[in-house]
Amino acid sequence: MSNPVLENIRTRRVVREMTDEQVSEEHLEIILEAGRWSPTGSNHLPNRFLVVQDPELIELIRRVSPGIYSNAPTYLFVCVDRRNFPTYIDEQADDPVFLMDVGQAAQTMALAAHSLGLASGPVTSFNVPALRKILNLPERFTPWMVLCLGYPQPNPQFVMKPGKRRYWQDLVYRERFVPWREFEAD
Amino acid sequence: MDDEKKFLTEDQVVELMSLFFSCSLLLLREPALYGPLRQLTAAERLAAMVIDDVSPEVRTLLEVALERIPVSHTVTTRRDQYKAIVVELNEALGDCLAARAGLTEGAVA
Ligand SMILES: Cc1cc2nc3c(=O)[nH]c(=O)nc-3n(C[C@H](O)[C@H](O)[C@H](O)COP(=O)(O)O)c2cc1C
Repeated sequence: MSNPVLENIRTRRVVREMTDEQVSEEHLEIILEAGRWSPTGSNHLPNRFLVVQDPELIELIRRVSPGIYSNAPTYLFVCVDRRNFPTYIDEQADDPVFLMDVGQAAQTMALAAHSLGLASGPVTSFNVPALRKILNLPERFTPWMVLCLGYPQPNPQFVMKPGKRRYWQDLVYRERFVPWREFEAD
Repeated sequence: MDDEKKFLTEDQVVELMSLFFSCSLLLLREPALYGPLRQLTAAERLAAMVIDDVSPEVRTLLEVALERIPVSHTVTTRRDQYKAIVVELNEALGDCLAARAGLTEGAVA
């Protein structure tokens, strides 16, 4: 069975070759609006989005982000502002629920971007201490993932193999964990 | 830096230092002796080669590199201390990049 949402989920791929065209304000706002609807733990809404489009800043960020291979004209950082936790205590700083909030928002926005014909790719390999200085980020405000955004190059030069996927049947257990299924999946 | 005589421009030096430092930070989960430390050793060698020829902003970065990287070699088994040095190096890198781009620190709450 298929419908436009399922089709969008199935056909989204990371795209690293983009045109020079800047992401339009209209498209950017639709993507950000989609991000705001993603769920967050306890509805704390810790996600903050930092959009960078200034070419000089993009160049500086690239220098300290070995994981960015694309030539995206827009970087959408998915950040967590710990000040948004009303019950914030230091020990919660590394609570993995923050990262789940980030992942939810990033994927929601990647799907929104794909539905509009934009290219996107998530990246986590960047240098946070250096970015703090470049982007003027306070200690409580941490970028966890950047979604590289742009319009896809019509004739990409370096075509990557489509991301390998297992069949869903190989990923799923029903009711209880079954050890022998691990071998089957590999 | 006198580009006539050198093989690298100052900008290229900063680019390589950015890569060495950023990779050393991102490799922190690996054993220090394999990944990050080798990146830092390369950065230290590069810093020593060019320090006399660079601008004051880059000199500050290279001085931090030459002072702190040898210390990092002595604390590779003490993860917290080792990580603190790598973070310190990357903060110095951020300061250097921001200064060279004319970015001044804004109000940070
Ligand atoms: C948490 C996370 C971190 C990632 N980090 C990077 C990265 O640093 N650089 C990069 O080029 N791609 C990165 N990716 C993209 C993956 O490599 C990509 O999603 C995967 O290879 C599957 O490709 P597909 O999404 O096109 O199917 C990351 C993806 C995720 C979910």
